[in-house]
Order: sequence, then C-alpha cells, then structure tokens
Amino acid sequence: MVTRRDFVRTVGVGAAGALSTSWISARGREDSVWSLVEPGLQAQAPGPIIPLSSNENPMGPGQVVLDAITSAFGPAGATPGRYSSATNDLRDALAKSLGVTPANITFGCGSTQILRTSTHVFTARDKALVGTIPTYEECAGYADMLGHPVRAVSLDRNFRADLDRLLDASRGAGLVFYCNPNNPVATYVGARETKEFIARVHRVSPETTILVDEAYFEYVTHPDHQSMIPLAIEDPRIVVARTFSKAYGIAGLRLGYAVGHPDAIRKMNAWDNASGTSSLNVLALHAGIAAIGQGPAFVDAERARNAAARDFTIKWFADRGMRSTESHANFIFTNIGVPARQFRDGCAAKGVRVGRDFPPFEQAWCRISIGTMDEMKRAVAVFGEVLGKPGAIVAA
Amino acid sequence: MSVTRRELFSRLRSGGLLDEAPLNGLALAARGHEEDSALSFWGQAGGRGRGAGAASQAAAPSIKLSSNENPMGPGRAVLNAITGRFGETMRYPFNVSPGDAQLIETIAAQHKAKPENVALGAGSQEILKVAVWGYTSPARHLVTATPTFENATGTARRMGHPVVEVKVDGQFRLDLEGMLANARGAGLIFVNNPNNPTATVHSGAAIRDFVERVRRISPDSVILIDEAYHEYVTDPAYETAIPIALNTPNVFVARTFSKAYGMAGMRIGYAIGMKDTVRPLARLALPFNISVLGTIAALTALNDPKHMAAERDRNTQARDFTQKALDALGCRSTVSHTNFLFTNVGRSAAAFRTACAAQGIQVGRDFPPFEGSHARISIGTMEEMQKAVAVFRDVLAPANVGGGERA
Ligand SMILES: Cc1ncc(COP(=O)(O)O)c(C=O)c1O
Ligand SMILES: Cc1ncc(COP(=O)(O)O)c(C=O)c1O
Repeated sequence: MVTRRDFVRTVGVGAAGALSTSWISARGREDSVWSLVEPGLQAQAPGPIIPLSSNENPMGPGQVVLDAITSAFGPAGATPGRYSSATNDLRDALAKSLGVTPANITFGCGSTQILRTSTHVFTARDKALVGTIPTYEECAGYADMLGHPVRAVSLDRNFRADLDRLLDASRGAGLVFYCNPNNPVATYVGARETKEFIARVHRVSPETTILVDEAYFEYVTHPDHQSMIPLAIEDPRIVVARTFSKAYGIAGLRLGYAVGHPDAIRKMNAWDNASGTSSLNVLALHAGIAAIGQGPAFVDAERARNAAARDFTIKWFADRGMRSTESHANFIFTNIGVPARQFRDGCAAKGVRVGRDFPPFEQAWCRISIGTMDEMKRAVAVFGEVLGKPGAIVAA
Repeated sequence: MSVTRRELFSRLRSGGLLDEAPLNGLALAARGHEEDSALSFWGQAGGRGRGAGAASQAAAPSIKLSSNENPMGPGRAVLNAITGRFGETMRYPFNVSPGDAQLIETIAAQHKAKPENVALGAGSQEILKVAVWGYTSPARHLVTATPTFENATGTARRMGHPVVEVKVDGQFRLDLEGMLANARGAGLIFVNNPNNPTATVHSGAAIRDFVERVRRISPDSVILIDEAYHEYVTDPAYETAIPIALNTPNVFVARTFSKAYGMAGMRIGYAIGMKDTVRPLARLALPFNISVLGTIAALTALNDPKHMAAERDRNTQARDFTQKALDALGCRSTVSHTNFLFTNVGRSAAAFRTACAAQGIQVGRDFPPFEGSHARISIGTMEEMQKAVAVFRDVLAPANVGGGERA
C-alpha cells in the first residue's frame, strides 16, 4: 500500500502492525488506545481494585496541588476555555528549583514525549538506540516505528545494568537509554559508577548521546544517589528525563520534562516541544508549579512512605523464600516462581492488579507497584492465596 | 537567529507553534463580569492560589479576542464532573473509568463508527502534526491554502517537505479548484472547513465533489478536512465530511474540543476516518495524551448536546451583533460560520490591533496576504462584544481611517 511506503520513507512507520523486536512484543500495551484496537489486554476485576500495575503514587498529589488545579479554573470556571500561557511560569519555577536556567528545560506531555523526541532527534537509520533488556520500552518502541535499529543488552546477575556490555554496544550508537532506577527491574546504579560510565561512552563514542531517565529518582534510597542534571547542563551529549507522574502523583495530568545543555534542548525543540498551546493542559501547568512549590519536604515524606511499604512487601516475599531485586523505585521485581500471567490473573480475580509480562523474565518474575501500606497488607493476603502461601506462615 | 533572540521569540510564543499573537499578562486577566456567576464552588476557588484566572497583577481587564476561544469555558456540567475526579489525578488515563478508551468509544459511537476509526490528539494540533509527519515527505508535498490555519504548513516546512499554498478565492473561500490542480502526487491536502482565519465555509456538496476529484487524479494523496469550527456553522448547505471519511480511503476529519466545547486549555482533539488512514496517526500521536480530567470533561460534554446548541446560538447572536456594528462603520466582513470575523478594517491589521490593544481589546495577528486590510476578531460574550464594538467605533471612526495611529 502506497500509504505505508510513504511512512517508511518519511518517519518510517512501515512496520505498522508487525512490530517484531522482543521489546515491542513485550509491550503489554500500557497504552489503552491500542488495547482497544488490539483487545483483551486489560484485565477486568469485579468491585474495587488495588492497582499495583502502573507505578503510580497511590497517595495522589499534595493538597496544594489540588488547590492549584481548582484555582486554575478561574473565577467562573471559564479558564479551561483558553489556551494557557503558563508554560513559562512553570519553566521559571522549575529552573529555579533545579538550579538551572530556563534554556536548560523543555517539557513533554508526560516524559513519554521527551523519550520520543530524544529518540527522534538522536537516533537514525545508521545510529542505533541502545538500552538494557528489559527496560522501559517507549524509546525502543518508537525507534522501531521509525525503522531505526535497536541494540539490547542483558542485565547482570543482580538485574543491574551491565555497564561493560552497555559500553560495548554504545560504540557508534545514536542514543543510550539509561533508565536509572530501571523499570521494570527496580535496580539502581550509583552516581559514581554512572558518571564513570558516561565518561567511558564519551571516550569510545564521542557522538553518542546518553538519555538518563530519572523517572523514579525521588524514590531512590541508595547512599550514592545524585541526579545527572549537573552533568547534563554542561554537556550536549547528556539529557536527563524527569516526570511528575511518579512521586509527584499526577500521572493523570501528563507532565514531564527534559534537562540538558541548551544545544541539546534546542535540537529537541526544533523537532517537537510541548506548551500550553500544544500538548500541555492548563491544569497540568498549574499543578506542576504548585508541586514544585511544595519543596523537598513533600518528596522526602513520599520517599519514606514508599520505602516503608516497599520494605514490608519485600520482606513478606523473602519470608516465603521469594527473592526481589534491590528496589530503589516505587515497585518491586520479584521471583514468584510461577509465570507472571498466572499470578496476574489469579490476583486480578481477587481485586489486585499487578504488572504485565516482562520478557525474558515472564516465566518466574513479576513487577508489583507499591501502594499504600494498607493496600500492601491487603495485597499480600491475596498474593498468599494465589501463590498457595497463606499469611499463617508469616514468621515475624 | 541568535540564541537569545530565538529563546525570547519562543518564550513570547509560549514555546508553541500556534498561530497566535504573543500572549501577555493581560490575556488571562480578571474576567470580572463573570465573577458573579452562580458557580459558587468556582467562585470561591478562584480567589486563592495562583491559578491562571488569578492573574491579578493585570493593570486593567482586557478582552481577549485573538485566539478563537470560547469565552464561556466548558460549562457547569463539565466543571462538576471534573471536580469529582480530583482523587484520580495520580492514575494514568488507562487506569481510570471512564478513561480514554471510553472517550474513543463515545466519539466513535456518536459518528456511528468503531473505536478503530478514531485517534486522540493533545489538541487537534497533534493530529495535524502527526499527519504531516506521516503523510508528507521530501517527495510528497503538502497542499494547503493561504491564508489558513498554518500549523500543518509550519510542520512541513520544519521537516523540509515541500508545501504548495493556494490563495483563497475572491470570496475568501478555499480555492478548491486551485487546490485540486496541485493535488497530483501530494502526500497530504489540508482542507480547513470552515477556514481559519477567513471564516468562510464550503457546502457538503462542494467538499464531496472535491474529494471525488482528488481521488480520481491522485488516489494516494491523503485529504485532511479540519472541522475545528464545525459546531459554529450556521449554513444549511454545510455538512460534516465525517461520513465521507468513514467510507473513503485516505480521507480523515480532524475535530477539536478547543472551540465550541470551550476546552482549549484541556488539549483534546481527534481524527476520524477509515482504520487504515487513522491507525498511523494513532501510532505517531503520544500514548495517553489526554489527561484524566480532560477525558472526563470531553465525555461529559459529548453527553450534553443541548449545551452545544445553546453555545452555537450564543455565538451566532454575538457574531451577528458585531458584524452589523462593523458593517455600520463601513467595514465588511466575510460570511462567517465560525466564532470569529475576518473584517476589512481599511488599514493594516497591525495598526488596528495596536489601537485596539491600547484600549484593552486584543484582536488577531497578521494574516498575509491580507494583513494590509483585514483583521481577525474572535467573538467573545455579548457583553465583551458590546465593549469591543465601542472601541472599534472609536478606532475605526471615519476620521481615523487610514491613520492607524492612536487618536
Ligand atoms: C522509566 C520511565 N520513564 C518514563 C515513563 C513515562 O511516564 P510519563 O509519560 O507518565 O512521564 C515511565 C512510566 O511508567 C517510566 O517508568
Ligand atoms: C482550524 C484550526 N484547526 C486546529 C486548531 C488547533 O486547535 P487545538 O489544537 O486546540 O485543537 C485551530 C486553533 O486555532 C484551528 O483554528
């Protein structure tokens, strides 16, 4: 069909309907739009469910954020009728809180837009995307759609990024997708090692850009924990992606951003960008400003709340002989010893929704997002029933 | 262009590609006359925090007639529906119910189509953008009009894909014959009906005939019919092209919730057409691009057709009033089927705009090749238009014609 060929020639969506990399086939479609067209991917549960499948913040945003959304409607509720000019206010607030300049920042309708734009700008038919397998698939899925090559590198024994192999694969690549903490495996590489890795990539492959996805940055409890933002603003070959969807609790409003050197940001903006007159809604803009205004106290409290519920859940599994990776995120990756699908379906039938398949580990491992402590207590009771390991065995 | 100038430029334009004049602090200024609205929840809410509505530093209230927005906003039913959903802002759009899947289903059902016929966009601009990404190439040009909504043009130019612009006809309508003459081998043909900024509309028969003839000479060209102002059309000969799109390969219609639905700030639009035409657009558009609150807003609005009929009537009245007042000043407008007028103000748009802005009325930017004579004036509330007309009378008084300077 000619239409298809045009896509190949331009953005290369030639493989429509026939995506083939394991990354892509692994996509359980956290994308409901396509689950409609490719039905049967969303499990339904009767009655109230505990959603532990999408790494959201179960607490939602802080009250000041909700107040900001309310006032964003304006006195008579008419403001949503207008295109919003608040993008620059958000940019200024963010720049100030990060200690960077407005020229270091660009926004996305979720960090999803940042991931796609980076992939578009920094990969090509002869410049591959490199990442671990598994990892968050947005970049790989989009590169595949563009017809740009994707190189996948296995994790090490502890489910951490294998930096030596990643380095080898990075030679001549366009973009390294460096997801830290890494979704779905939850592991984190410390700042010193990350900086070393970046320096080595620069040495062996100076043209390669590294996209550090810090979506779960706020949840990290590792002693050597630092953002790569200070590096990125000095170096056009490093871009950091961030989101308000995780710790800040507004996944439903769709707001993410990239921080980088002005040259890198300019390149991204030249292809695509987000504002209150393109893909950012007015409520997200004002929620984002308020979220930043909460200061570090909000994030500290959310990190502690998550860590406690996470520790509880990991211990519950460990007490029953089921190992989890070392999680620095708001989800855990656990060896449940049975296929993820079987566990997922069993849990869904009892009102707990857990993560989808993550090849190549779908035969024994499952990703479980961390809800509130109360939700996790109810969830482990369900896990016990589904796995035939009832709560009575609890040692502690 | 130097870094700083570029940055300044992009900041003035809110970083966006929209064709609007720079927004300033006044743009979103206090809309005092609406404060006595019966919406007590919102009335109360508006007073605190730093909401968009609370740009209280504005020196004087200004009336924004420059972006073809709905001055009323989305309406009470939508607002009430949104407030009930604040507790779900932490969830992804696919994890709430009703969510984006239900929005797609509802849109499809409204047009007797299937979900596979619909793709959502963060505003219809995203639809236009991905259509250009997907359907034009260095070898397959974009056919568009001038003047028209320039989003598709801008996207194609930035990609270095060829663009053929066909000037509107003597009545400021899209020159469909001229566009047809340039259709052969085109990747995408952008047909804005009604057309922004000229406000004119083509009949259903004219569009059907155009599509058939394009299909005959260039069946691989994709035709995008942008019906952003559909709900405001009052011409009985007008018909939506959606039934054509659902039955004709390589044709799709773009719609938006930004205009009559009063949700420009919520960023929701969609494409509708045959599965093979729409599917690539859905793949290129961002996943989960509509917020959970936007989803519920759009769903609520779609279930409230009476509100839409009332909004059309409100706009028609304010539009007629404004048009007659301008007629009386000797300033003729094109036949408008939108929420704006394209009016011969007898001087440059810049002169008119500057003079109006000095009196608190913001009107549209330059629209070449008519920037020497025509201005685009969005229709606000009747009360806003009464105030605006008083300013227009002052600015356009015969003594001021040709002057352009502030009296
Ligand atoms: C690592 C990572 N990056 C990016 C995203 C995209 O999130 P959003 O578009 O909501 O910012 C996710 C979401 O799950 C993620 O896990
Ligand atoms: C013809 C036309 N199409 C599309 C748009 C974009 O609207 P949105 O992205 O808000 O849906 C506009 C806005 O002015 C328009 O006039």
